Amino acid sequence: MDIIDLTWPQLAIGFAILIIPAFILWKFKTGLLSKMGIAVVRMTLQLIFVGYYLEYLFEYDNAWINMGWIFIMVVVADYATIDRSELKRTKGLLISIFGATFLGIIIIDIFFLRFVIQLPELLAAQYTIPITGMVLGNCLRSNVIGINEFYYGLSGHQERYRYFLANGASRREAIYPFFQGALKKSANPTLASMATIGLVSLPGMMTGQILSGSSPLIAIKYQIMIMLAIFSGTILSVYLGIRFSSKFVFDKQDNFNKNILKKN
Amino acid sequence: MRFNKVTPDLQKEMSIAFSEVSFSYHPEQDPVINKVSLEANPGDVIGIKGSSGSGKTTLFRLLLGFETPTSGKILYKGKELKPERIKVLRKQTSWLPQDLDLGEGPLSEVFFYPFTFKANKSKIPSEEKVLEIFAALGLNKNIWTQLFSDLSTGQRQRVGLALGYLMDKNILILDEPTSALDDESKEKVENLLFDGTRIIISASHDPWWLERCSKVIDLNAS
Repeated sequence: MDIIDLTWPQLAIGFAILIIPAFILWKFKTGLLSKMGIAVVRMTLQLIFVGYYLEYLFEYDNAWINMGWIFIMVVVADYATIDRSELKRTKGLLISIFGATFLGIIIIDIFFLRFVIQLPELLAAQYTIPITGMVLGNCLRSNVIGINEFYYGLSGHQERYRYFLANGASRREAIYPFFQGALKKSANPTLASMATIGLVSLPGMMTGQILSGSSPLIAIKYQIMIMLAIFSGTILSVYLGIRFSSKFVFDKQDNFNKNILKKN
Repeated sequence: MRFNKVTPDLQKEMSIAFSEVSFSYHPEQDPVINKVSLEANPGDVIGIKGSSGSGKTTLFRLLLGFETPTSGKILYKGKELKPERIKVLRKQTSWLPQDLDLGEGPLSEVFFYPFTFKANKSKIPSEEKVLEIFAALGLNKNIWTQLFSDLSTGQRQRVGLALGYLMDKNILILDEPTSALDDESKEKVENLLFDGTRIIISASHDPWWLERCSKVIDLNAS
């Protein structure tokens, strides 16, 4: 069957289905109707914007422009990670989370684009942009879970941290259990989704590929690759995010500076 | 009481002194600690008494570098305890807080975590030894498999005392070590910890414990 290009009027019909969730949310007085309206408008406008600038990126297909796009996306992810982790935007945190996310993304990109897909031109837009976008989105989610768990865990159990220090632990030894807890918590959603993928849901990227005409067998190979990239990228960026940012949140005596927390 | 096992070398090697130390949490507030002076040498068992809020726990936080004095000096081995030397001191200390928190896992797991630190690795005890000390402190061995968070305050306190003993440090800092112990257990703690060579600095309301201290400092009097 030929690919059916969805027209804008056809897409507009799709919005009609929102009557159902809107009615349910209104009936139960959830107070979420305006939030739903804003979310739908934002989602639509953001994706239209993305569509247009991706057209531009694909047309020019220049490695430097693509790198610039990755840089900007990582800066946006950096601010979002710190805000959603309920941390204050200090210079040290902004630089360290940026460094961790950027390094994590670059390592994953180079590995998959150069050694797995074996692109003749590194950073070709058609591959770099979707793979980076998928990995970065997941890194953001995992970083928020991991970094929030680490710093709020440390704050909530400060006496435990101090007990370890006062009984001979180095800072690295004293934060180890909190680091371990943060890695576990951030890895769990991706592990759960890997364990059920294909059984209870078809992933978005694979669905998109199939809808746009790819064979399901090509689509699953890319999907497996992207799941490996997402899992490795998220663990790496959470690890680097905590490792780098922890350089800026302890004083000379290894005391944790609670002032970096929005809620303390 | 056994306070006479200190050689002159050891005396020189380990000593802690507070010289007119004051501390307040906010500059505009009255000091929690006001010009406290004390000296502790190996073999000394220092008892710090005072009403609730008199700054007993704060004194320990200052010594361990969790707070910084607003005036006065803390000396370790005769030299001012500056931030870079706090870490050297902490390798020699074992601190028992009022409410010990070792983590979420079973006691059999979390108990050994402090022994994975480089400073304590040479002191890793066998499980048999741990249970022997537990028995000496009146702890039932059944708690070994329980979650640490399910233990009572008194059980946690005894577990902390067992850890303090087994880590075998030169300086023990104990916050209300006997508040949940009966007289028999208190005597066992005395037998285990008072070895005449280490410094013990303790905060206590317990007259039984304070009677056994070689020096008692009353924070209400400072």
